[in-house]
Amino acid sequence: MLQCIFLLSDSGEVMLEKQLTGHRVDRSICDWFWEQTVSQADSTKLPPVIASPTHYIFQITREGITFLACTQVEMPPLMGIEFLCRVADVLSDYLGGLNEDVIKDNFVIVYELLDEMIDNGFPLTTEPNILREMIALPNIVSKVLGVVTGNSSNVSNTLPGATASCVPWRSTEPKHANNEVYVDLLEEMDAVINRDGILVKCEIYGEVEVNSHLSGLPDLTLSFANPSILNDVRFHPCVRFRPWESNNILSFVPPDGQFKLMSYRVKKLRSTPIYVKPQLTSDAGTCRLSVLVGIRSDPGKTIDSVTVQFQLPPCILSANLSSNHGTVSILANKTCSWSIGRIPKDKAPSLSGTLTLETGMERLHVFPTFQVGFRIMGVALSGLQIDTLDIKNLPSRPYKGFRALTQAGQYEVRS
Amino acid sequence: MAPPAQSQRSPSPSQPSGKGEVSDLKLQLRQHAGSRAPGADDAKRELFKKVISYMTIGIDVSSLFGEMVMCSVTSDIVLKKMCYLYVGNYAKGNPDLALLTINFLQKDCKDEDPMIRGLALRSLCSLRVANLVEYLVGPLGSGLKDSNSYVRTVAASAVLKLYHISASTCVDADFPAILKHLMLNDQDTQVVANCLSSLQEIWSSEASTSEEASREREALLSKPVIYYFLNRIKEFSEWAQCLVLELVANYVPSDNSEIFDIMNLLEDRLQHANGAVVLATIKVFLQLTLSMADVHQQVYERIKAPLLTLVSSGSQEQSYAVLSHLHLLVMRAPILFSSDYKHFYCQYNEPSYVKKLKLEMLTAVANESNTYEIVTELCEYAANVDIPIARESIRAVGKIALQQYDVNAIVDRLLQFLEMEKDYVTAETLIDTSLEFSHVVLVKDLLRKYPQWSHDCIAVVGNISSKNVQEPKAKAALIWMLGEYSQDMHDAPYVLESVVDNWDDEHSAEVRLHLLTAVLKCFLKRPPETQKALGAALAAGLADFHQDVHDRALFYYRLLQYNVSVAERVVNPPKQAVSVFADTQSSEVKDRIFDEFNSLSVVYQKLPPASNVISSVITSHLSAQLVMEFPYKSLGGVIFSQGCILSWPCAFVGKKSKEGMESSSFVLILDLIKGEKSESL
Repeated sequence: MLQCIFLLSDSGEVMLEKQLTGHRVDRSICDWFWEQTVSQADSTKLPPVIASPTHYIFQITREGITFLACTQVEMPPLMGIEFLCRVADVLSDYLGGLNEDVIKDNFVIVYELLDEMIDNGFPLTTEPNILREMIALPNIVSKVLGVVTGNSSNVSNTLPGATASCVPWRSTEPKHANNEVYVDLLEEMDAVINRDGILVKCEIYGEVEVNSHLSGLPDLTLSFANPSILNDVRFHPCVRFRPWESNNILSFVPPDGQFKLMSYRVKKLRSTPIYVKPQLTSDAGTCRLSVLVGIRSDPGKTIDSVTVQFQLPPCILSANLSSNHGTVSILANKTCSWSIGRIPKDKAPSLSGTLTLETGMERLHVFPTFQVGFRIMGVALSGLQIDTLDIKNLPSRPYKGFRALTQAGQYEVRS
Repeated sequence: MAPPAQSQRSPSPSQPSGKGEVSDLKLQLRQHAGSRAPGADDAKRELFKKVISYMTIGIDVSSLFGEMVMCSVTSDIVLKKMCYLYVGNYAKGNPDLALLTINFLQKDCKDEDPMIRGLALRSLCSLRVANLVEYLVGPLGSGLKDSNSYVRTVAASAVLKLYHISASTCVDADFPAILKHLMLNDQDTQVVANCLSSLQEIWSSEASTSEEASREREALLSKPVIYYFLNRIKEFSEWAQCLVLELVANYVPSDNSEIFDIMNLLEDRLQHANGAVVLATIKVFLQLTLSMADVHQQVYERIKAPLLTLVSSGSQEQSYAVLSHLHLLVMRAPILFSSDYKHFYCQYNEPSYVKKLKLEMLTAVANESNTYEIVTELCEYAANVDIPIARESIRAVGKIALQQYDVNAIVDRLLQFLEMEKDYVTAETLIDTSLEFSHVVLVKDLLRKYPQWSHDCIAVVGNISSKNVQEPKAKAALIWMLGEYSQDMHDAPYVLESVVDNWDDEHSAEVRLHLLTAVLKCFLKRPPETQKALGAALAAGLADFHQDVHDRALFYYRLLQYNVSVAERVVNPPKQAVSVFADTQSSEVKDRIFDEFNSLSVVYQKLPPASNVISSVITSHLSAQLVMEFPYKSLGGVIFSQGCILSWPCAFVGKKSKEGMESSSFVLILDLIKGEKSESL
C-alpha cells in the first residue's frame, strides 16, 4: 500500500505531492532522499527501493523527473516499482513527453490521472485506453473540439464502459473510418564480446508491437512460421493462453491503439552482424588505440546508425583520435563517441590514435569497454517470422502492415 | 489547457512569498463566488489552478478555504476536481471549515453523473475529520448500493477510509457485512477487489478484539472463497490480480490434487506482462509446493525462464527488483541455475548495486563445469573502471577458489592480479591469496597435490615490497604470510624487522597484532635471525596504547617465559584445512527471507524491521557470525583458525559478545587450552 507519491524535478524540487492515505507523509522525506541522491552523484546510482529512517522509498527516474513513492508497510516490491513505471508511461503518453515544464503546466491533469490510477494506496487501473476515456488528452484536437462544441471540460461525460466489460483493455466499440492494423517486430541484440574476442553471450530480446485501429470487437489470430525458437514469452493480458499453449497461436481481442502484444527472448545466437575489434598497446606513458569495424555476417539489409562509444579511463590525460570514416568526438566527461553511420562497401572503417597517460604511469591497467550501436530495418535478427494474421468479426477488409527492426541493445566489446 | 502564469513556474528561491498573492487570490475568488455570468467558470478555473499550484509548491493557502468552498457551486467537473483536491488537502487541519464542505459534497454524492457521485464520495471520505463521520454513513451506504460500478468501486475503498477515521462507526453501520456480500456477488471485479482489500485490513485489525472478525478473516482463506477468486482471476485488473494472488499464497490446500489444480489454473499468469503479477504467482507456486521436494524443484525449473525474461525486459529498476528475487532463489538452489550463469554476467553500464548482486550469483552457481568460464569473466571485471566492483570480482574469484573447483586455474589468475600494479587489486588479491594460499598449502600438506603452487605464490609474494602495500587488510595479509611461510621465504625475518622498526608509523591495530604474531612465528622457525626483531616487537607491543595489542604482546611474552614449546603449539599449531567459510548470510536467515518472497525485504536484503525474528536469528547465529568474522574480516582469525577456532563453543562466544570484550588474550587462552587438548589426544 503506497502512502504518498511525489514528483521531483532534476534539482530536487517537489513538483507534485499526492497523499494517498490518512497517514500524511511529510515532505521532509524528499529532502532526505535528495541528500542521498546528491551524495551518490545521481539518483540512477541509488537502488529503486531504499529504506529511509521512517519509510520505505520507491524511486524511479525518467527524463530527469524522479517519481518517488513512500510506504511504511510491507508490500510486493514490484507493485510499487511497476506502478511508478506505469505512471511515468501514462504521463509521458498524455503530456507528449516528460519534463519539468510540461508537468508544471499540466499539474491538474497529473492530479486527475493519479486520482484514477490509485485510490487508498492500491493501484486501480493503469490501462491508457481506459484512462483516456475518463480524462481527455490535453492536446490541440481536444482544445479545438472544446471550442467548437462549447464543452470546455476535459472530462468525458460518460464513464468508460470498459470498466464494466469483460474486455477491460478495450473501450467499447470504437469506430474508425479506415480499419488498419500494423504489426512490428522490434528486436534488441544484447551481446558481450570478451577480451579475447570471443562471443560470450548473445541474446535477443524482442517485442511484438501492434498498432490497431479496428472498429467494433475484432478477434485476431497471429501465427509465426517458427515459434519454436522463442525461449520465453510474456503476453499482454488480451492474449488467450490456451491457443498459445496448444498450437503456439496468438489469439486476442486487441486494445485500440498502440500496445505491446508480446515480448520474448531468443537465447544463444551464434553470431553478430558486425564485428568491432579494439586493440590497445601501451608503452612508456602512451597508448596506441585502434578499432576496426566491419560486417561479419550480412543480414541482407543495410546496417545503419553504427556507433561505437567508450569511456576513456580516468588515468588518460589526453587523446588524439581520428577515423577514416564517420566522425569522432570526445566529450568533457571523457566519453569518446565515434559515429560511423552506414558501413561503406569499399573499405572497413577504422579509428586510431594515441592516448597520453598520467605522468608516472607506464602502462594502462584499466581498459575501456566499447559499446556498440546499430540499426537494421526490415530484419528480425532472431529469425522470427510472422506467418499469418487473421481478423474475424470485422465487416470490411482491413489494411494489414508488417515491419521489423533490429537494433543493438546492450552490445559491448571489452578490450 | 493554457499554461499557468509564469510566476508559478519559477521554482524557489524566486518563489512568491505567498502573502500578497494569497490575499489577492482571496479577493478575486470572492468576486467570482456567486457569479453565474458566462465565462465565470473559465475565470474560476484559472484562479483554482493558481491556488492548487501554490499548494503544490508548498505555500499555505488554507486561508482561502471559505472562498474555495463558496466557488465550488458549479457544474464544471474540472473545477470540482480541483476543489476536491484542495479540500482533501486542508480539511484535516481545519476541521471547523471542513464542515462547510460537507453540504456540497453530500449534494454531489447525489448528482446524476456517476463520475461526480464517485469523486464526491471519494473526497468526502478523504476529509478525515473525526467529528464529521456521522455525515459519511448515509452517502457511503447508498454508494455501496449505487447502480454504477464506478461509484461502488469508490465506495468499497471508502469504507476502509471510514474505518481508519472511526472504526466503531464503520462496524456499527454494518459496512463489513455489506462489503462481504458485494465481494462475493458483484459483477465488477474492481469492486470485488476493493472489497477484498478493505475487508482484509478491517478484519485483521478487528481480529484481536472480536472473535467474529477473526472467524471472518479465516473464512477469506476458506476453499469456496479462494476458488471463487481463482475462477474469476482473469477478469481482474492486473493490480487486483496481485491482491488475489497474495491471498492465495496464504491458502493451505487440503491435498496434492488441489495444489496441482491451483497451479494449472495459474500457470499462464507466469507469462503476464506485469512483473508484479508474475512474482505474486511465483510466490504462490513456491508456497504451495514447499513440502513437496520434487515438485518444488520442478517449480524452480518452471519459473526460471519467466524470471530471466523479466530481468532482461523492463526498466533498470524493475530488473533490479526481479534480480533480487532471483538472487534469493539462486542462493537457495545454486545447482538449478548453474547452466544459466551467463545471465549473471555484468553489463558495462549497469548500476553497481546490480553488478554486486550478479557477482554474488556468479560465485554461487560456480561448479566443475563452468568455473573456468566464470573465473575468466570475473577476471575481466578486475580491470573495470568501477573500483568497488573490481574488488568484489577479485573477492569472488577467491571465494570460488575456496569451493575447490579447478584450483590450478584460479591460483594462476590470482597470481596474475598480484602482478598488476594497482593498489586495490593487490589488496584484494593478497587477502584472497592468503586464504587461498593457506588452503593450497594445506591441501599440499594433506594430499601433496599442489606443491608447485605454494612455491609460485611464495615467489610472487616475496617480490611485493611491504612499502607498496598501503591498505591495512592487505598489509595484515602480507605480514601473516611472511610469518606463516617464513621457512620458505628467504628474507622474511628482515622484511618483518623493517616493519617492526616502523612500528610507530603503523596506524592500524590489526596490522600491529599481525605483526606480533608473525614475528613470533618467524622466531620459532628461524630463531637466530629473528631474535632482534622479536625483542623490538614485544617491547613496542607492551608500550602500545591499544589494549589488544598490549595484551597480546604481554601474553606472548609470558608464554615464551613459561615454555617455548607451548608457545610453539599455540602459535604454530598443526594445520587444518580452512574448508568452509560461513557465508555472509546464514542459511536460516535465507529461509526466513524466503518466506518473505515478494516483499520489500528481499529487495534490500534485510528482514522486516518490525519482525521479532531478527533478535532470535541473531542470537542463534551469533556463533556463526563471529566465527565468520574472524577468518574473514580480520585475518587474525586465520592464524587461529588454523588451530581450532572454527569450532568455538557457543557459550564462550555468547559470553564474549555480551560483555563486549575484544581482548585477544581470551582467544589465545582458549587456543592454549585447545592446544593442550589436542596434545593429550
